[in-house]
Amino acid sequence: MSDVEGATGQVIELRLPSRLGYERIAMDTAAALARRMGFADERIDALRTAIGEAVTNAIEHGNQADAAMKVVVVLTVRPDELIISVSDQGRRALELEQTKTRPHIADAFQRADKGGWGIWLMRELMDEVEFTLAPGGGNQVRMVVHLERSPVGDQ
Amino acid sequence: MLEDELTVNIRHRDGVAIIDLIGDVTTFAEEKINGAYRQVTAKGDRFILLNFRQNDYINSAGIAILIGIVTEVNQNGQKLAVSGLSPHFQKIFRMVGLAQYAEIYQTEEDALSAFKRLGAVE
Repeated sequence: MSDVEGATGQVIELRLPSRLGYERIAMDTAAALARRMGFADERIDALRTAIGEAVTNAIEHGNQADAAMKVVVVLTVRPDELIISVSDQGRRALELEQTKTRPHIADAFQRADKGGWGIWLMRELMDEVEFTLAPGGGNQVRMVVHLERSPVGDQ
Repeated sequence: MLEDELTVNIRHRDGVAIIDLIGDVTTFAEEKINGAYRQVTAKGDRFILLNFRQNDYINSAGIAILIGIVTEVNQNGQKLAVSGLSPHFQKIFRMVGLAQYAEIYQTEEDALSAFKRLGAVE
């Protein structure tokens, strides 16, 4: 899939250490790219949040915050969309069922761990979100944001 | 370099404890935000305003910290509001449901006027 995308679009690849804070590099890069592509400010904010969550998950969960392990972010520019792929080295595999749940704040009040909003936010904010497990290990999330489409999650 | 520090500042105006959150609200912010909340609660403050600065970075770990604050605010019978959020984070607060428990105001002044109507006075 990435070969086809690479042949038809411009591809930018980032390799980040698995240390919290580095997600900002991916957020800033994607935002700069999206701005040049002509995305509206609102969509760029949504993109920043979604990519921040994806990279944070990869750092904390997939790579268990082992700074020696890399998170690879691939940004593919197409005329009418931006494709973002975030991969980790899969020290811990994502449970795909858990990527489909919708958290509720009233439940969070009762739990010691009040988190679990990241993947849901990604799904709400991006046009397409797909999680896959690479055969050799490693989690990958592929997100797509379309140019000139009314925002998702505004309704 | 990338572990941006959050600056937390506590002020009092018109009977409201204002907690300024200047910087990023991520996992690194947990101790400071919880510490500020405990401090105003120990002083008996009932009306609390979390005053954000536009364009900051609030992620899902930061949202979890804020849900923790709301949990305690509800248990302690306090009233919480937020101000200074960018339109993007106002939207996220509504999506998550935080806005049901912490009224969103554009500015600190708007929030203080609303608190005054609720009975906060110096």
